Amino acid sequence: MNEFQEKLVHFTWPEPKKSYDVVIVGGGGHGLAAAYYLATRHGITNVAVLERNYIGGGNSGRNTTIIRANYGIPEAVRFYQHSLELYQTLEAETGRWIMHQEKGILWMAHSEIGMQQQKARAAINRAFGAKTEFLTPEEILKVCPEIDLTGGGVWPVVGGSYNTEAATARHDRVNWALAEGAMMRGVHVHQKTAVTGLLMEGNRVTGVQTDKGPISAGIVMSAVGGHVTSLAAMAGLRLPIRTHPLQAFVTNHYARTFHPIVASTNLLFYVSQTARGEMLMGAEIDPQPSYNYRSDHHFLQSCAFRATTLLPFLRDLRVLRQWTGVCDMSPDYSPIMGKTSVDGFYITTGWGTWGFKAIPASGEQMAQLIATGETPEMIAPFALSRFAEDRLMADRGSAGTH
Amino acid sequence: MPELNRLPATRIVSTALDGAVWPENRLVLRTAADELLIIPPVADVSSVTSHDPYAIVVEDASYAGVWLGADEAAAILRRHCEWRVTAQRPQFAQGAIAGIATKLWLEADRVLFVVPAPYAVEFEERIV
Amino acid sequence: MRVIVDQKPIPFAPGDSLLVAMLRAGEHPTEGGCLCLGGDCPNCLATVDGISYVRTCQVAAKPGMVVERHPADGYPLLPDDSRHRAEVHAHNHHCDVVVIGQGESGRAALAEAEAAGKQAIGLDVANGQEAIGIYSGPLVVARTAAGMLHIHAAEVVVATGAAEIQPVVPGSELAGLFTSRAAEQLTAAGLDLGRVVAVGTPPAGIECELASGDLLRFEGEGGRVTAVITQSADGSENRYPCQTAVVGLGLYPRDALTRMGHQLPVRAVGDATREADLPTCPGEGIICPCSGVSVADLERIWEQGFQEMELVKRATLAGTGTCQGGVCTPYLRSFLLAKGKTLQPAFTARPVNRQLTLGEIAAGAHHHPTARTALDGEHRRLGAKMERSGGWWRPWNYGDVWAEYWAVREAVSIMDVSTLGKMIVSGPDVLELLERLYPTKVSTIKNGRSRYVLLLDERGYVFDDGMICKDSDTQYTLTFTSGGSSHAEMWVRDWAESWGLDVRILLQTQRLGAINVTGPLANELLARAGLDNPPPYLGHIEATVAGVPCRIFRLSFTGELSYELHHPVEQSVTLWRGLLELGQELGIRPHGLETLLKLRLEKGHIIVGQDTDMDSTPRRLHHEWAIKLDKEFFIGRQAVLRTNKIPLDKQLVGLEMVGQPAGYAPLEGGVIWHQGNYAGIVTSATYSPALGKTVLLGWLYLQNGELPTEVEIEGKTARRVEVPFYDKEASRARA
Ligand SMILES: Cc1cc2nc3c(=O)[nH]c(=O)nc-3n(C[C@H](O)[C@H](O)[C@H](O)COP(=O)(O)OP(=O)(O)OC[C@H]3O[C@@H](n4cnc5c(N)ncnc54)[C@H](O)[C@@H]3O)c2cc1C
Ligand code: FES
Repeated sequence: MNEFQEKLVHFTWPEPKKSYDVVIVGGGGHGLAAAYYLATRHGITNVAVLERNYIGGGNSGRNTTIIRANYGIPEAVRFYQHSLELYQTLEAETGRWIMHQEKGILWMAHSEIGMQQQKARAAINRAFGAKTEFLTPEEILKVCPEIDLTGGGVWPVVGGSYNTEAATARHDRVNWALAEGAMMRGVHVHQKTAVTGLLMEGNRVTGVQTDKGPISAGIVMSAVGGHVTSLAAMAGLRLPIRTHPLQAFVTNHYARTFHPIVASTNLLFYVSQTARGEMLMGAEIDPQPSYNYRSDHHFLQSCAFRATTLLPFLRDLRVLRQWTGVCDMSPDYSPIMGKTSVDGFYITTGWGTWGFKAIPASGEQMAQLIATGETPEMIAPFALSRFAEDRLMADRGSAGTH
Repeated sequence: MPELNRLPATRIVSTALDGAVWPENRLVLRTAADELLIIPPVADVSSVTSHDPYAIVVEDASYAGVWLGADEAAAILRRHCEWRVTAQRPQFAQGAIAGIATKLWLEADRVLFVVPAPYAVEFEERIV
Repeated sequence: MRVIVDQKPIPFAPGDSLLVAMLRAGEHPTEGGCLCLGGDCPNCLATVDGISYVRTCQVAAKPGMVVERHPADGYPLLPDDSRHRAEVHAHNHHCDVVVIGQGESGRAALAEAEAAGKQAIGLDVANGQEAIGIYSGPLVVARTAAGMLHIHAAEVVVATGAAEIQPVVPGSELAGLFTSRAAEQLTAAGLDLGRVVAVGTPPAGIECELASGDLLRFEGEGGRVTAVITQSADGSENRYPCQTAVVGLGLYPRDALTRMGHQLPVRAVGDATREADLPTCPGEGIICPCSGVSVADLERIWEQGFQEMELVKRATLAGTGTCQGGVCTPYLRSFLLAKGKTLQPAFTARPVNRQLTLGEIAAGAHHHPTARTALDGEHRRLGAKMERSGGWWRPWNYGDVWAEYWAVREAVSIMDVSTLGKMIVSGPDVLELLERLYPTKVSTIKNGRSRYVLLLDERGYVFDDGMICKDSDTQYTLTFTSGGSSHAEMWVRDWAESWGLDVRILLQTQRLGAINVTGPLANELLARAGLDNPPPYLGHIEATVAGVPCRIFRLSFTGELSYELHHPVEQSVTLWRGLLELGQELGIRPHGLETLLKLRLEKGHIIVGQDTDMDSTPRRLHHEWAIKLDKEFFIGRQAVLRTNKIPLDKQLVGLEMVGQPAGYAPLEGGVIWHQGNYAGIVTSATYSPALGKTVLLGWLYLQNGELPTEVEIEGKTARRVEVPFYDKEASRARA
């Protein structure tokens, strides 16, 4: 027996119906969260989540689970801080153990200009409700004594920002807690059901075509990550999304003594230790757009090299497993949430390399949109129409890869 | 430790490189379809300019290089070169070596390593 | 010859692995579990010479090796530091065929390749080469004691054979259990296994009692096996007392590497291709020793509704430990087959297949190199604080920013600006190309003249800026920012190619050094350096300065009289030293980037990247003057026309602080407030000694359609003002 096995969650797998009020395409965190909040906040339960494989099998079950709010534009800081706070209470709310752990995240700077940027990040974070401080090298050492401040003699650490409430949670358990919470209230989740087309009447969706037959719906929400481009194309809608692979790896299990999440803004890697003691690491996205899930050697080699430059103790740890997800990237490095020009067709996408932390807030806000037909103020700036209206949510420096 | 020195050269960008002829005692590196590096520099470039009046011809010392014996070169390539250098000699090849864009001129018993001079110091440090 | 196991020396025989040495000495590396000696199970793991999770059966014993058992409860500790460990090197090999595994089928594959005249390499753990993964290329990465092998082959043959299926019954965690092959190897090594009972296929050449019936459980005492219990067809139990139990339950292909090589030129031969034997999943026992998952756990998770292979794995964590499913996969599959009536595939094979450290995987990696200008040594000798910026090492300051500042404003100063992107474009279509690329009327630039330009992308956003200098009717010199030049180069080349224009392009950033001579005494300095007729404002000439042939551009970023001297890079040091020497009496000092950032800010000059964002249109930057919309075409024109119709939402503006003490400058990147509302972001800020006040650039949002005139920054009042802040008439630069 090991203490980390899932013991509380129970799923139910009902037979599909011909029609639902709401069909959510994609059983990742964002799809499941929208269903969960529809059921819990709005009592809307005649809802189906359609997943072509198994729930949480996409990026929501492949990410490095970092939850932080240290973004660079006010709208984003507010949104991610809200999501971070929803995470803080998700365990109590669902009664399920999502292994939420507050750790704090350090973004280290290695130059004068980098230091300035981290000071600015801390300032704008605090202005909009996120708890971020600027730390000197000495203060960094207190948070993470393992760091080699000389950066291997190559990338000295000159300071950093520290988002104290940053956390991690077990990705699978988040997906499952939300799925179960929705199921308990009557939502249907159908696995092995791929949506192959949208059913339309004029400019309005009326349902979806699936590999198991048509299902009609008053509202269709897409939460399929980058695959939304092909779904939307069926409705004649073009989305500015490109898909890039992102990889990560873990080591074997070690006693838990590494507490914070550590990232470098120049070396572009990040590390944390999971509740089970694995060191979990990631780095930047592959520059070439593709849907390739193959893990690659250069990534592992280079990420290991950069990580050991700042955290030399990592050198002797044994790597266990490497994997890849494909990320839906928008042109301004911010997500796209809300209505589209097709009536009744809503989307949440462009979550790129950072959408795990957004699962509760995106779910809550999209549910409110579905329930009321009105775009909530918090997500209005992230509407698809911003590209046509020249209102980018430019926040490249915050996207990190986590 | 191998020390790289600036390599004075003539650099030509032109659409008329194919037919051009150069003195025997020059190293002529065709770095791209429309680009040549001639080491050391040549005075007469008319075999190009007579065909291409728009050719860009400049004196160029932006590269640094070092000749190494075949064995030493092979050892460096084994450690620092992920791509395949075929056995044919003489031969020109280019790609990343030790993480730095490098051009190679390979002869039977020696190899010229050429890198952009701004990276020469780091290259030296890396291949020791 | 001895190795140290938990501080106790134990002897070993030549050829022993650490595991065999330990077993010989009556030691067991772990609490127990069936040992395979094949690298497939998690039952021989220990910390060896400070590295945890080492399979002791795969490591040859060497005198003085230190083995520590993993803690029985919990995980090994993170190492304190590993800085002492020598760097691991990578060795690259290129060949036609690499064969992984040198058993019977592997040797045959190697011989076959060699017979066909191919260059082939054979790897085997037995020879100290552990293949850890197959990557695109194909690239086979293997670990050896001497470093990492990176084998780039045209074809990969996987001949890794098959693993033996591990027993899963109550008691399978006891010590004294071996697979058949393990028992054979130990016997061959001269170990006495005592009284042996065999279950399933018996080992070859070992005297043993064969247990008949289905394996039911192992019984033990003090953690060691004492008896094998089986069940006959009629349901009765049989008890076979023993000192060692040997199990032969069938084989499972070692196909992880093959599956990793899916869609690559990778093929498997021999046992690695065999059908997997599917053992029946017993009613109880531990199926995943790494994560401690029992059959009862599987039953429970199935009832909870987790029924897909991947979900079962994720919910129980079976298969997520060190052996990566080596032990549990056959049982998981047979369990799910029995429950759900379909045989589900094994989970995705992911590198790494064998264990290696981050230090080992990092072998052969390098940091992004940072370029050095030809003057790098000069800066360091002068005590400059060097910073990485735009991919280059640049002097940040030489120790006294304000002294540098005043040298520019009141005397003369030089700065190394060699990092500027510099390009020559030549050809019959050059004017056509530049007219299409740039939003300015390139045709109105005269020979020998230059013009400041913005570079726009197709969405009408500014991504770089620089100069266009006309050399002749068919040749222009372009400059870009230091950090933006590689992107700009691609931009020019890509467009030239996609429009099919007849031009030749040379990026000559690294060929030419560039030194900016700036300050009211710049003319005086140049005269001393032999230049009596400097070019007019925005003109350029060729001339010799301090003995170095230069192309001299007159422009100004600092706000003072300035000349940029482009020269052959190999003469940078001569020029630099010459200027410093000649300028001594004039009070010359070099200045760094930190100083430049202040000087240009006083002039309101933007820095692309610092003052711009990814959505900076010329209108938002207040740079409409640089855009000639009456041109028929340039990149971004359509987008600019379109966005110009949308009401303006924000603009980059000049601000000055009201009533603040000398020296005060708010944080760059800090927030601007207007009557308690968010109103924008400071992008640049400095105290200006020349003006006696603090000046800023920042993004300001329109409030009710108007740019506010007074805002708050860091709790203090700031006023919106026109830029430039300094020398509004530009009389100094044009002097
Ligand atoms: C390696 C890696 C590390 C990451 N690290 C972090 C991190 O540390 N912090 C963070 O916040 N974010 C991180 N992310 C990003 C995060 O994982 C994603 O942004 C987030 O999981 C997106 O969730 P989603 O529900 O939109 O997409 P997904 O979880 O991918 O779900 C989409 C689902 O739609 C299904 N689907 C697709 N097409 C169809 C169809 N036609 N019909 C039916 N179903 C369909 C898919 O099978 C999938 O299950 C990381 C991502 C990766 C790859
Ligand atoms: S005994 Fe070493 S891996 Fe099984």
